[in-house]
Amino acid sequence: MRQHILFLILACAQILGCAAQDTARLMQATSPPANFSAPQTAPSQGSPGGTPASGLDVRLPLESKSIRFAVIGDTGTGEREQYQVAQEMETYRQKVGFDFVLMLGDNIYGSHSPKDFTQKFEVPYKPMLDAGVKFYATLGNHDDPNDERLYKPFNMGGERYYVFKKGDVAFFALDSTYMDPAQLSWLDQNLQNTKSKWKICYFHHPLYNDGRSHGPDVDLRSQLTPLFRRYGVNLVLSGHEHVYERIKPEDNIYYFILGNSAKLMTKDFKSSNQMEKGFDTDQGFMLVEINGEKLYFQVISRGGKTIDAGALDRQMQPSASSATAH
Amino acid sequence: MPVWQIARKGWWCCAFLAATSFVGLSQTPAVSPATVSPVVVSPATQADAVFVKEFYARVSKYLDLRKKAGSPPKPTKSAIKLAESKNAMAEKIQEARADAKQGDIFTPEIEAYFRKRIAAAMRGANGPKIRSSLRHAEPLHSMPLHVNQPYPDGVPLQSVPPTLLLNLPRLPKELEYRIVGRDLALHDIGPNLIVDLIPGAVPSP
Repeated sequence: MRQHILFLILACAQILGCAAQDTARLMQATSPPANFSAPQTAPSQGSPGGTPASGLDVRLPLESKSIRFAVIGDTGTGEREQYQVAQEMETYRQKVGFDFVLMLGDNIYGSHSPKDFTQKFEVPYKPMLDAGVKFYATLGNHDDPNDERLYKPFNMGGERYYVFKKGDVAFFALDSTYMDPAQLSWLDQNLQNTKSKWKICYFHHPLYNDGRSHGPDVDLRSQLTPLFRRYGVNLVLSGHEHVYERIKPEDNIYYFILGNSAKLMTKDFKSSNQMEKGFDTDQGFMLVEINGEKLYFQVISRGGKTIDAGALDRQMQPSASSATAH
Repeated sequence: MPVWQIARKGWWCCAFLAATSFVGLSQTPAVSPATVSPVVVSPATQADAVFVKEFYARVSKYLDLRKKAGSPPKPTKSAIKLAESKNAMAEKIQEARADAKQGDIFTPEIEAYFRKRIAAAMRGANGPKIRSSLRHAEPLHSMPLHVNQPYPDGVPLQSVPPTLLLNLPRLPKELEYRIVGRDLALHDIGPNLIVDLIPGAVPSP
């Protein structure tokens, strides 16, 4: 009898845990890859501004009322590395307390069957989804522009490009796979109208990067950077190149490439003067905290090692005259 | 200035008006000249204006047919529902266009117009940037596409350089241009169908 009651309780919990009916239908497909194993978190390296008490190397100040989020790119493989990065993210989330994640495209590689959405998104990030963390996706060249914009857990509101606000930060999620005149016009108007102190644009294809496999999209750059300069965009995040790279500020704008949250292209970098920091030997993710005039970032590898960290000052907003001078 | 006065200034204005009026259909505001880099292309001729108008008429006719295939799906957390609604819409369109063939939208004259626009963009000052963008966007090798058939699942969609898009007639949000190898495809995003295509539309370097 007890076994029956226990079974019933477990069954109810299972049903409640699966919000969507189809998730239950896909239980066969929801197990992690067979070769998945939890990564070993690197021992604390100590941190000037961190809190090593938990064993985690946290370099963010964790100030009250700050905006905190994570960034991932090129994730949707459904393979072991994606699951390991996701688990490391969850470990940090419990300490850092970020409540949303920016996805830089290539959210689902390969086919886009319902099973793929489960294996390549719902299962690896389940602990975060269950904790109420929201994911805000952009489209990469491997994504399905119809299915993914309509897929509610990606929070795209049925649009290929959209804007949302958190506190004093406006996030512009762009579709770099199809930057048509309508989208450029939309971006122009929305950047112009926003009153947010911080303006962050994120999309799949990088405007600058030093990877050999893809490189920068110079045509996209020629269309977007005039708008970024004119309206004082502070930070630009991209994926596509399967590495981590921080570019020296271009026109006083911070550029990051994070395309290694599941995919990885090792030894991808060519020599460059524009690179501030590069990392192409492991997967990783990024944490960001914004408070007032400061943006703090920390990039963490699949194994829990801090790859890059720092604090950036909010740039001066361009005046109308200087903005149009470019 | 009244529209009829503008129209009197020449047929090339008609082409512009046709383009902007279509923009209204898709509820996308016109791009101000200050917003995007101007691209130097030959002004549209009288014949071009006719081809653009004819292109829009054919696209509108396709959209009418598409509407009959059902209303667009709303956001859902169910990937199964998304797949089901996409497949249902595709099946209805495929049935309604059972005799569709290459050239239904891109008639020989319209095709020639598109080839001319693409070639002009590639030859212009922005040509190297467009080619570089194509090279860096995981270019697809030639892949056979068929009118009224799905774009293959799992095959990445190569990004289309924005400067190239500036040179082509704007599309309603249901449709998009896609480059596959050197071909230009008119892709219906919702049901994931190839509406029409122009083989070898992108000239060789």
